[in-house]
Amino acid sequence: MSNDDKPFFVGYLDVPGPLRRFLLLACVAVIGIFVATGFLIGSTQDEPPASGFRFDYGRQTVTGVIELTPYPLLRVTQGNDLIKPGKTLMLTGQGKFGVDARAMGLEGQLAEVSGIILQRGTIDMMQLAGGRRGLKMIEGDAPAMETEPLGRWKVAGEICDGKCLNGAMRPGRGLAHKACAALCLVGDVPPVFVSTQLIEGSDFMLITGPDGTRLPKAAYDYIGQFITAEGDLERRGDMLIFKIDTDTLEVTDE
Amino acid sequence: MSVKYTPVQWNLNKWVYDAVMLVGVVAFLWLFLFVSPELLSHEFPINPQVHNARAFGACAFVMLTVILCIGPLARIDERFLPLLYNRRHFGVMTTFVAITHASYILNWYFAFSKSDKFSALLFANTSYTQLAGFPFEAFGIFALICLAVLAATSHDFWMKFLTPPVWKRLHSLIYFAYAAVVAHVSLGILQDQQNHVFTVIFIGGALAVAGLHAYAAWLDWRGGDEVGAESNGWIEICSPEDIKNGFAKIKLLPNGERVAVFNQEGKLSAISNACAHQNGPLGEGRVIDCLVTCPWHGFQYDVTNGRSPAPFTETVPTYNLRLTDGVIQVDPKANPPGTFVEPVPIPGWQEVPA
Repeated sequence: MSNDDKPFFVGYLDVPGPLRRFLLLACVAVIGIFVATGFLIGSTQDEPPASGFRFDYGRQTVTGVIELTPYPLLRVTQGNDLIKPGKTLMLTGQGKFGVDARAMGLEGQLAEVSGIILQRGTIDMMQLAGGRRGLKMIEGDAPAMETEPLGRWKVAGEICDGKCLNGAMRPGRGLAHKACAALCLVGDVPPVFVSTQLIEGSDFMLITGPDGTRLPKAAYDYIGQFITAEGDLERRGDMLIFKIDTDTLEVTDE
Repeated sequence: MSVKYTPVQWNLNKWVYDAVMLVGVVAFLWLFLFVSPELLSHEFPINPQVHNARAFGACAFVMLTVILCIGPLARIDERFLPLLYNRRHFGVMTTFVAITHASYILNWYFAFSKSDKFSALLFANTSYTQLAGFPFEAFGIFALICLAVLAATSHDFWMKFLTPPVWKRLHSLIYFAYAAVVAHVSLGILQDQQNHVFTVIFIGGALAVAGLHAYAAWLDWRGGDEVGAESNGWIEICSPEDIKNGFAKIKLLPNGERVAVFNQEGKLSAISNACAHQNGPLGEGRVIDCLVTCPWHGFQYDVTNGRSPAPFTETVPTYNLRLTDGVIQVDPKANPPGTFVEPVPIPGWQEVPA
């Protein structure tokens, strides 16, 4: 019951005098809430890792040997000022597309690749230009490339896609990014495992299924989560390849 | 009040309301979008699309939180009632801000793949059986659909078409939408945050909404309208002296309805306490120009017949009443809306000078 003489507001009439001061304060408070929250939330965003497309380097062209893990890698044999021989590059297409189909049939062949570098500390990935401008077989004998087995490992970290991790998206990992990473993997972008600790000098490795198969779909549920996994590790040039055993995937809090 | 449907029946207070709301929202977005990147000065900044998505998403959350605080605040302190007056404009704008957030997400995280982005939104993450990594997007989709439905049906046309009780029930979806937003944020962005300022603001906002509703409900429960005592089939209200001129006494009837008994110039009349517009509490209103005026949106009724003045057409039920041994009694069977009931004079009534 409103059985008193409090000021009574009617929307289409003038605001009663005694209410004006209160409503003025309420307006200031509402605007203040928006100003304060906008400023505080906006100015406390986490800094993404230093990574991204290096359009400033311009288009890079190097030559090397294609290896299918099954995700295509380029073992650089003839580099340039930026990408030296001995480097191993993961290859990806534009958008959420890999280059598996384009690299099919080129395993062990000498090829020239051209595209934009994605850099996260070291340079580990190239986004190829379209068509034969981005990837083409070239004449010549491909040198034999060594693969160094590193034994069985148990690692802790996170599964994500190599492209976003390397800065195609910032931030490009974590649970909020899970759906995007899954879409990238469905599109054949190379999957990677980001380790919490350096393994053989690297904090990430390309992952495949056991025996050189594609990453099993069973692993997709674990994308972005902190997990442990076991598998066989090998080194190809300066790139680690982890053949993950999905039966050992386990979510962990530690 | 409206006699015909127009998009918005503007008045000065609505202009001021919307201006304040716009200033707040624009300030939020300006600070987030244009000032904070300078302050953050990240070497490799967050992608603009992600930054924009976060700005509009956080803004929608703050807007929704403010909107949901207004209701209980107005129940706790009547001075907040003016903030309720034009709240649906606030709600409609929140929907547009939320749609902008969703658009940035859809056109960034779910674009550039071989799948249609809308399909990708539904299939990219299907880990529904786990909490960490749960497809939090589903909660966002649900909340956005709710907001869109509420915005689309916010006009008085829909209230009249659906009837106020159905409309009110439909618009209770806002609580489910808010709960979904809380789940969306908790299982999404909060999982990856290292800086916890947003976490604190988010939890504070959600707790404010929950706390204010709980407190207002407790106040209602503690000081709520009493059920009138029954006497030979009639319900006792109070003594006529307990109702000041131009005000009402509200009583709960056995059937759960509320009746508001008004004293207008020494004559008693009883009408339903629920306004035909949005079920606003007429008994908490005032008599202005001989018409009961709803405290929520100013809809007016003649207290003797429950009819809005011409050309308006809203009606509310009236009740028969009588004075027995100095006690006002109301027949709990409501008359059809708009039925005239002869007012009952209060014997020897004299207006008390202010």
